[in-house]
Amino acid sequence: MIQLILFLAVGALLLSSLFLFAGRLVQPKAGEKEIFDARRALSSLRTELLQPDIVARIFATEDLDYVNSSTSEEIRRMFLAERKRVALLWVRYLRRNILSLRRFHLGSVRHHAQLRFRTEVTLAVEFAILLFACRALEIILWIRGPYVAPKIVRAATAGAARVCEISERSLGFFGPGSATPLGKPSAGNHATL
Amino acid sequence: MAIILYRAFRAKLFGKYPFFYSYLAVVLVAGILLGFVYHPNSATYKKWYSVANYPTMLLGCGIVLEIFNHALQAYPGASRFARISGYIVFGLVFCYALVYPSLTASSAHTGTAIEFERDLRTVQAIFLFGLLAVISYYRIAVGKNVKGIAMGYGLFIGTSLMSVALRSYIGPSFYPAASFVQPLSYVVCLCIWTYALWSYQPNPASDSTIRIEADYEVFVARTKEMLGALRSQLGKATRP
Repeated sequence: MIQLILFLAVGALLLSSLFLFAGRLVQPKAGEKEIFDARRALSSLRTELLQPDIVARIFATEDLDYVNSSTSEEIRRMFLAERKRVALLWVRYLRRNILSLRRFHLGSVRHHAQLRFRTEVTLAVEFAILLFACRALEIILWIRGPYVAPKIVRAATAGAARVCEISERSLGFFGPGSATPLGKPSAGNHATL
Repeated sequence: MAIILYRAFRAKLFGKYPFFYSYLAVVLVAGILLGFVYHPNSATYKKWYSVANYPTMLLGCGIVLEIFNHALQAYPGASRFARISGYIVFGLVFCYALVYPSLTASSAHTGTAIEFERDLRTVQAIFLFGLLAVISYYRIAVGKNVKGIAMGYGLFIGTSLMSVALRSYIGPSFYPAASFVQPLSYVVCLCIWTYALWSYQPNPASDSTIRIEADYEVFVARTKEMLGALRSQLGKATRP
């Protein structure tokens, strides 16, 4: 019986992968877009998502304290729902940018004949864990709201600059156009690309 | 099947997909020859069907190779990854094939033709699944021809495997259902191939402007460093 289940599982797995394969959309000339997306992801991480003041504003307990002290219960509920929505959007956007960085990595190494199997498997697992962690964070925020763990948010944003710097160096491999550091806010209008 | 081969002749596709068309030609010839001895309950037909089934099943492995060659040709990194994965999967399947019979020595392990077909289909299904996973993971764009070959053959292999496994387990009572499902899946498979291989549609050219100028090791080290930083931050973040 177990053997039968295994065979049926393999067959079902193949058929479902075909279903996904049939529906997937891949741009044939995605290379430049991947770099563009990766740069945009870095830019977003650096200038928006992980900016301490923005994150602090989203998760500011002072706002909650103010609402608690001077408004009705209904407004408090509305405020919490709105803040939760913003926090969830933040973590989803963060996840999307990590996905973009992964796409960039894969889009680059697939051309590389010296690719090392073990390294790539390790990286794949690490990306998967990171994405899972983001998803876990999203669930925590969804269940318990944005104010239960300010430490969580602080920790998630603290390493932003480091991450972005490293990513920039990776992007620096590509062409003379990328010699300029990316993602750093420009003088006044935040035009980073 | 004859239409597909005719279109291949007109569109000069034989040279482009030799394994695939060899398979089709052998299946067509075998089908025509079997037609001469066809009778649902004829022992001669069943015997010759089994004889013809082995080479076509083995040639089917060439289709997986064809998909591999065409889809990953322009991507040496992804190709290397898929090749090594293939060796590992082959090793695991080989070990399983060696170890499993000794574990189930007491049970009825007859090694019939149907079991051989089931096992071979399983191996093909695993390889095709792995190949599709690599193609999807590295976001490789494939042309209509290769996509059609993969879709059609995958559909046929998947349904055949499930049908043969059930036949092997349930026995003759499943034969009527199997004799309906398998030919149906093959007709659908032929329709997909006819549509996808009507004319030559090569894979989209890979973007040669996107090449890593620096060393792979350095690139990976930086990606790892980036990942490590992200992981440590999110690791702290998910801790209560």
